Amino acid sequence: MSNATLYSVSYDLVHAVLFAIGSVLPAPLHGWIESDGLVTGLAVLVFGVILLAASMLNTILLIWWERKLLGRFMDRRGAMHVGYAGLLQNFADGFKLFRKDTVRPREADPLGFVTGPTAYMVTSMIMFGILPISSGWNSGALPLSLLLALAVFSFAPLFIFVSAWSSNNKYSLMGGMRSAAQMIAYEVPLLLAVVAVVIVAGSFDLTTIVYEQQNYWFWGPLFVALVVFVAGMLAEMERIPFDLPEAEAELVEGWNTEYGGMLFAFFMLADYLRALVGSILVVLLFLGGWTMPSWVPSVATSFPLAGIVWFMVKTYAVFGVFIWIRASLPRVRTDQLLRVGWNRMIPLSLLSVFLAAALVTVKCLPVFGCVPSPGI
Amino acid sequence: MSEMWLNMGPQHPMTHGLWNLRVHIDGEVIRDVDPEMGYLHRGIEKLSEDRHYNEVVTLMDRTCYVAGLAWEHLYILASEEALHIAPPERAQYLRVLCEEFQRIASHLMWYAAFVQDIGLMTPFLYGMRDRDLILDLFQSYTGARMTYEYMRVGGVRNDVPPGFTDRARQVLDWLEPRFVEYDQLTLGSDIFHKRCDNLGVLRANDCVTQGVTGPMLRSAGLKRDLRKDRPYAVYDQLDFEVALADTADVTGRYLVRLEEMRQSVRILRQVLDWLDRHPGPVMASQLPRWLGAPYAPVGREGYLLKRNYPKGVGFSAVEEPHGEALAYVVNEGGEHPYRVKFRSPVYANIAAARHYLVGYRVADIPPIMGSVDICVGEVDR
Repeated sequence: MSNATLYSVSYDLVHAVLFAIGSVLPAPLHGWIESDGLVTGLAVLVFGVILLAASMLNTILLIWWERKLLGRFMDRRGAMHVGYAGLLQNFADGFKLFRKDTVRPREADPLGFVTGPTAYMVTSMIMFGILPISSGWNSGALPLSLLLALAVFSFAPLFIFVSAWSSNNKYSLMGGMRSAAQMIAYEVPLLLAVVAVVIVAGSFDLTTIVYEQQNYWFWGPLFVALVVFVAGMLAEMERIPFDLPEAEAELVEGWNTEYGGMLFAFFMLADYLRALVGSILVVLLFLGGWTMPSWVPSVATSFPLAGIVWFMVKTYAVFGVFIWIRASLPRVRTDQLLRVGWNRMIPLSLLSVFLAAALVTVKCLPVFGCVPSPGI
Repeated sequence: MSEMWLNMGPQHPMTHGLWNLRVHIDGEVIRDVDPEMGYLHRGIEKLSEDRHYNEVVTLMDRTCYVAGLAWEHLYILASEEALHIAPPERAQYLRVLCEEFQRIASHLMWYAAFVQDIGLMTPFLYGMRDRDLILDLFQSYTGARMTYEYMRVGGVRNDVPPGFTDRARQVLDWLEPRFVEYDQLTLGSDIFHKRCDNLGVLRANDCVTQGVTGPMLRSAGLKRDLRKDRPYAVYDQLDFEVALADTADVTGRYLVRLEEMRQSVRILRQVLDWLDRHPGPVMASQLPRWLGAPYAPVGREGYLLKRNYPKGVGFSAVEEPHGEALAYVVNEGGEHPYRVKFRSPVYANIAAARHYLVGYRVADIPPIMGSVDICVGEVDR
């Protein structure tokens, strides 16, 4: 299991199945079915389906986690009735949305109205092909995976704005404009915070970044970067206190006011996909990914799939913090948000870059230990 | 994005009811506003002319659905004056009990809606949770949680059940520490101050010229409370302070309402003590028969009595949770009031929207309008 990646597992699976089929078939078909191209193609497909299923399952679990935890913060129970402790509630909600008709306003632009949410959803899902969940998740053959992940992540404002504009609704338009302004403004500090991590880790490869955290997780020495990154992520995820693009008090539902049925479900799912991606990025960049510190007894880290389990625990814990923030903070205003973004976050993120550079120069810190292999 | 008119309503989360705020916006800045009311008009004043005096109480619960008992009190005070009937003292204390519990319930409803408007979700449910305790109390002695139909001309329908005062004290004991918690959840957050300080400012002289009353007026520093300035029922025998703030903004209104809830708790403790010590009748004994039995068929004797009954007009002014509500009832003889007219405080408060909304941003509309505490039922009547 040590060197197996998810792709190699799916390749072996497809290989075994196709060769089993091929062995009972006559010669011409036999050769075709066992051809390398077909096996590779199907393996990629299976790999994708597994990723899709895993990401969807986690997204829906994430919504459940949010509903339950939010309920507890609010002195209530959250979803209780469908499935054990409401675990199947979100599936029921999803099926309801799936069965509903998609109503498109007469004056809406048909192309943008449908492609906007779809592209938003698709770009959010692409992320899961990039992010390593554990050592055996992908081959680590993406030396710039962090850069790619953030590039895909930053597609969102474009598609949100397209769907908002094509809805032909004033609330949608305002929500879309706010969303675009906010996401672009917070992209800068977010990337600068990432730069701090990259300086210390010396790599853009997420797998390498995780392994660079063997002496200490980056959240301690790069605390400023973590704060900037989490705040930026909150803005990118459009969650309270930065959820003003869909501030329901004044903008009804913001940019997805006109959406219903499955297209709305796309937005909803994509929002939580992005929330999941945000939590995963925090875990990967600052909380040591799937690794655990050496003082943790090896019993807790050596069982099968321990990496994935610990990764999920950390991810849900990080998202729990986001839920906590949502339960306890009011919403800020657009101009305040942008002012904080440009006047506070960017200086802070520059400071974090400076601190990271200082850390690499000093190499060792009293409490945390030494930089494993400063690359830059 | 150029200038445009935006219809916020009649179906909009900000409205907390059914009305339309037309906003002229330039980007995100408000240039002009035009409140449009009337979507919830049910003709309550006209309907009242066709009902027995006590049947109008039913309509009062529907006039303001979050402060039904305060509106019952308002109407009953005016019609008692018009009919020359004096209620027993215990009934008056019970009415004050109703009104103050209703004030807390209404303010909790406001708190829940207001924090929701600025994006706070948790206190919303805390407010609703605690309001439910008061609704349970209402249910225990009026039988209903929203449409009480409790007050009658000449008194109240029934006394509180045994053990009620202790249960009510338990609720008050639970509520008082909650107010501290509410403050921690809102005032404890810098974002709250960023959102609400110096927002929706309406100074005292503007309040007076626009007829704005209630917590909005008191938040501007003007010490005006009908319970003190024109005491009705037994308010002159109760010890309490008028809640005041001087910032005239959303935060000021928040502070005034929270303080009013504390003062209501103070009043209620005195009322509950009084009720424990003074048992007695809750209906006036000398009632004309056609009033005392409103649902019984009116026979010949009752009709004669009614014809000889003196005419009169009644006026009452009640410090309702939203502001100063006035009622005018004309008794021209007969079992129905000849004319009933109400003054809704929220109508004036909304109508002044141009004075406290223009110049702020679209995102400021929910907190500002939330701080007005809108109950559209009484606006349109």
